Amino acid sequence: MKPIGAFLAGVVMVFCMAASGVAGDTIKVGLVDTYTGPATTFTNDVLDGFKLAVEKINAKGGVLGRKIEYVTRDDKFKPDIGLTMAKELILKENVDILMGTINSATALAVSDLCKKEKIPFLVTFSKSDKITGEKGHRYVFSMNENTEMVGRAAATVLARKPYVKYWIAGDDYEYGHAIANGVFEHLKSMNPKVQLLGQSWWKVGETDFTPYITQILAAKPDFVIVATGGAGMVNFQKAAQSTGFHKRVPFYQHTAIELSTLMPQGPNAPEGVYGTANYLFYYPDSKENKAFADEFRKAYNRYPKSGALYGYLAAEFIAKSFEKSGKIDREKFIDAMEGMTLDSPVGKLEMRACDHQVLLPVFFGVTKKSPQYEFLVAGDIVSVPAKEYMPSCEEIVKARAR
Amino acid sequence: MGWLANLVSTGTLSQVLVGLSRTTILFIVSSGLTLILGVLRIPNVAHGSLYMLGAFSAYTVISLLGGGLSAFLAALVIAPMIVAAFGFVLERGFFSYLYDREHLMLLLLTFSFALIIGDLVKIVWGSEYRSVTVPEFFQGSAEIFGLPIPYYNLFLLLIGPFIAVFLWLVINRTKMGKIARAAAVDAEMVSAVGINVGWVFAFTFVLGCFLAGLGGALIAPMVNISLGMDHSLIMEAFLIVIMGGLGNIWGALLGSLIFGLTQSLGILIWPQFGIVFPYLAVVVVLFFRPKGLLSPTW
Repeated sequence: MKPIGAFLAGVVMVFCMAASGVAGDTIKVGLVDTYTGPATTFTNDVLDGFKLAVEKINAKGGVLGRKIEYVTRDDKFKPDIGLTMAKELILKENVDILMGTINSATALAVSDLCKKEKIPFLVTFSKSDKITGEKGHRYVFSMNENTEMVGRAAATVLARKPYVKYWIAGDDYEYGHAIANGVFEHLKSMNPKVQLLGQSWWKVGETDFTPYITQILAAKPDFVIVATGGAGMVNFQKAAQSTGFHKRVPFYQHTAIELSTLMPQGPNAPEGVYGTANYLFYYPDSKENKAFADEFRKAYNRYPKSGALYGYLAAEFIAKSFEKSGKIDREKFIDAMEGMTLDSPVGKLEMRACDHQVLLPVFFGVTKKSPQYEFLVAGDIVSVPAKEYMPSCEEIVKARAR
Repeated sequence: MGWLANLVSTGTLSQVLVGLSRTTILFIVSSGLTLILGVLRIPNVAHGSLYMLGAFSAYTVISLLGGGLSAFLAALVIAPMIVAAFGFVLERGFFSYLYDREHLMLLLLTFSFALIIGDLVKIVWGSEYRSVTVPEFFQGSAEIFGLPIPYYNLFLLLIGPFIAVFLWLVINRTKMGKIARAAAVDAEMVSAVGINVGWVFAFTFVLGCFLAGLGGALIAPMVNISLGMDHSLIMEAFLIVIMGGLGNIWGALLGSLIFGLTQSLGILIWPQFGIVFPYLAVVVVLFFRPKGLLSPTW
């Protein structure tokens, strides 16, 4: 009779595990993100930043005596695959938390699913302002800046500059338009004197920007807002370098000063390009940032980029929130997460309760040569604190009512 | 009439030159594509991936040789050779077994190789962006009516005609080229007179791959060498080939000229929607000449 007894015991155990909803004695985090193709330049950093923090947390005994465990799924940059993977992680892997997606369309789809399934979802890298704005809800959180935040932050700095005639240009898709229009609209409201001279839009993946640059030069604007993403960042800067564009007309690109844009170009990137970033491994020059950058470098043999910060933040927020709520309960987790502050490489950060958006400083700087590194870095950095540029909670409520 | 004023402004000449330099890259890549299409009847979807492979190989060659003009010129020869060698393996190892099958099989095989090459590149070079600096010799730009034309674009302008003449010589003045032309029209007849068509096919495929690699090596200093750089190019190359007439190299030249010039002049006329002009040109051409501008070899 022994085998049958063991079998029955097994069945009972399986039922118990299924009923508890939380399998085993770990905290299980599911990551859905793009792990093949061009986007991996950014997503690998998110994963590695997350891993780094998780290993440290687990080495100290985990959270509430449980280790954090994680599983990854590749969405191949496709929303439908991402959604299927998220479902699978929730139903089959019984994950407690979901995080990931660099693709905003995937993030919105997974966010919708998480709302129905009541699973907390921590977005890392998707830049659509709809995620915590218009389409925000109780179960979704964002670890990074979005297009609306970038627009406002960059505009606060540009509004102090004397330029009048602006040209906007960018990748002809949602991100490009959202960034370019975001910066210009907010700039216009802060400084009514500015005017829009014209605009150019190119297809995503455009390789040769020279014809666009010569046309913009012929139109003679004072300043150009360039909204490229991904590989286009470097492509545009290379074209600027070879035409001397930046020496004739100053221009701004979100992430122009980021490592992902400057490092590949080595010492030959254009100097004097304005840009914004969430994370620079050499700024702020604080003990915390240095420690994080050194640890990351030791573990992965490269400098951390902004994605590393987002991954690190996600892990820290997960650990702190479960600790604060005292047990592994998703609803309590969310309550704990709202308004939580934690120390990070870029200083103290708050998870805003009203929209679940982490309040990050935005660094505005200009590219310059560095005696220390083989690539250009950001100089004249202005740190724009979140309270100076974030949309107010009333605005978020209004956007969600729409 | 603002657009008309734009078109006859001082910017026009520089815009035409920039457009022509773009034509060079488009022609080099699409001539390889159309060559393979004309002779082997393979719509090679992996052609863009071979171009990407050329760019990454150029990056490696240039960094191994320590940069500079000589390293760059060496890369212009070595990188296409690497791609050509890769193409030789592909043709002998895979495609040559499928010539008797339907075209759909070949199309699927090229599609699968587009994915495989993409992953291979990721395994070998990783997912980080790579960049090659324009050699010092070509850095900076000339000025035409106060607008900059990068020296590198002028260099591309010179390369273009060279490649066109080289291809003309290979196809019209060499025995292999003549056989390839004959095979394009009637492969069975060519083998009936005792010529090993298999090797003609291999030669053509390798030449096509060489051109893809050369295009990649030439574009390397201008762009961010990254995964995904193949996607947008393969679309344009196919449009050019269709517009010019399938398999017709001079059609590819004509198509590239139209594509490059409508793009750069379109930007001048209407920057906000400059993106549509080359595609509009394709529509217009195919509306009046559904089989392409020049006679297809199909």
